[in-house]
Amino acid sequence: MRRFVLPAVFSTIFLALLLVAGCTAEQVVEQELPPEETDQTGLLIFTANGEEFIREGFVCKDGWSLSFDHAYVTLASVSAFQTDPPFETDLGWEFEDLIQGRVDLGGVLTVDLASPDADPAVVGEAEAVPSGRYNAIYWEMVRATGGPADGFVVLLVGTAEKNGETVDFEIGLDREVAYLGGEYVGDERKGILQAGGSATVEMTFHFDHLFGDFDEDPDDDINMEALGFGPMAALAVDGTLAVSLSDLESMLAADDFELLVAVMTHLAHVGEGHALAAFLE
Amino acid sequence: METINNRAFRLSWISLASALILLLSPFIVSAHGVDIGAVPISAVEVIALYDSGKPMAGGQVAIYAPDEPLEPWLTGTCDEEGSFIFVPDYSRPGLWEIQVRLAGHGDLIRLEVTAAEEAVVDGSGGLSFLQKIVMALVVAWGAIGTAFYFSRRSS
Repeated sequence: MRRFVLPAVFSTIFLALLLVAGCTAEQVVEQELPPEETDQTGLLIFTANGEEFIREGFVCKDGWSLSFDHAYVTLASVSAFQTDPPFETDLGWEFEDLIQGRVDLGGVLTVDLASPDADPAVVGEAEAVPSGRYNAIYWEMVRATGGPADGFVVLLVGTAEKNGETVDFEIGLDREVAYLGGEYVGDERKGILQAGGSATVEMTFHFDHLFGDFDEDPDDDINMEALGFGPMAALAVDGTLAVSLSDLESMLAADDFELLVAVMTHLAHVGEGHALAAFLE
Repeated sequence: METINNRAFRLSWISLASALILLLSPFIVSAHGVDIGAVPISAVEVIALYDSGKPMAGGQVAIYAPDEPLEPWLTGTCDEEGSFIFVPDYSRPGLWEIQVRLAGHGDLIRLEVTAAEEAVVDGSGGLSFLQKIVMALVVAWGAIGTAFYFSRRSS
């Protein structure tokens, strides 16, 4: 009797164990260990970027080949924000309710976007700031109060060439503008600061919006909304052009000047994402 | 009249036979079988246009899952209509990010993904109805055998 009953008992127990093990194998949940007490801060680096257009030069929409010795921009009131839900420019300027944290970069700072080292240019750094996602950034372009770009928010210095004609230019924009952008859009993620690490937030300037891009279709938005260099080249005297935005108001055709002013409102981006813009005066 | 001895003998063999069936059932079922299923799922269509309304044909798409924001979960390219279709991983609920870029222009949108109401179980993973029946029978027979064993000893 026992020689028959015992196999039944053991086979049952074996099967039960086998089944229990089989059923629970994929239900094991790893226990999360309590987080260690660590420093939840990191380094946030503020940068400005004129991209290859400024560093390497380019051919603008009307065929002028532009190269830049300097492209000064003067920045102030720069702040990076952690927002939740994430800020998007469609929401407009009223975004205070979204702010979960902010890092301010004090001072008025001028950077040269044409410098070979400006890939991108470091504007400033903030140490030991809370980790998290810095997905909104506000900044102002203000007139420099000294230095090579004194009196201008943007000063472009360089040379334009077309069909053997050369124009050395200094073009100064002197209207102050505020910008507000969302999360960085580009081939890498920026603004995501992990504890103990570093992250970058970027103010990006697309100067092809000012001059257009010969490589794009003439009917493309980038060219339809750009001034180009031709209208300003026509103002050069003996191959030299030194003008400010204020000068250009009386020197350019009204439509061209209107186009130039409008460019200042879509010059700034965060990577490839457009930023909101508003003149400060 | 059937004796306890004969019953126990029969029970033990039934238990062992059931165990054999249980262990071999996945192989029996899948020997030359084909198991085709169709489960409706929710896909997402991204439509990328310039402000002018022109499609971003060839736009580079990068999709980021909420729990891994630094690396794209999926990359692809918009078609001629600026369209790109994908199925999010519904086991990773949260705010998914979709970025579309082309020739220096781009944007990033977000999409709230909630967990699917019922997880789709891979046929090779969970127990089939037949397997569950066999399992129940085996356990029941085993319990009866055990009861007989102890009742015999006590008598």
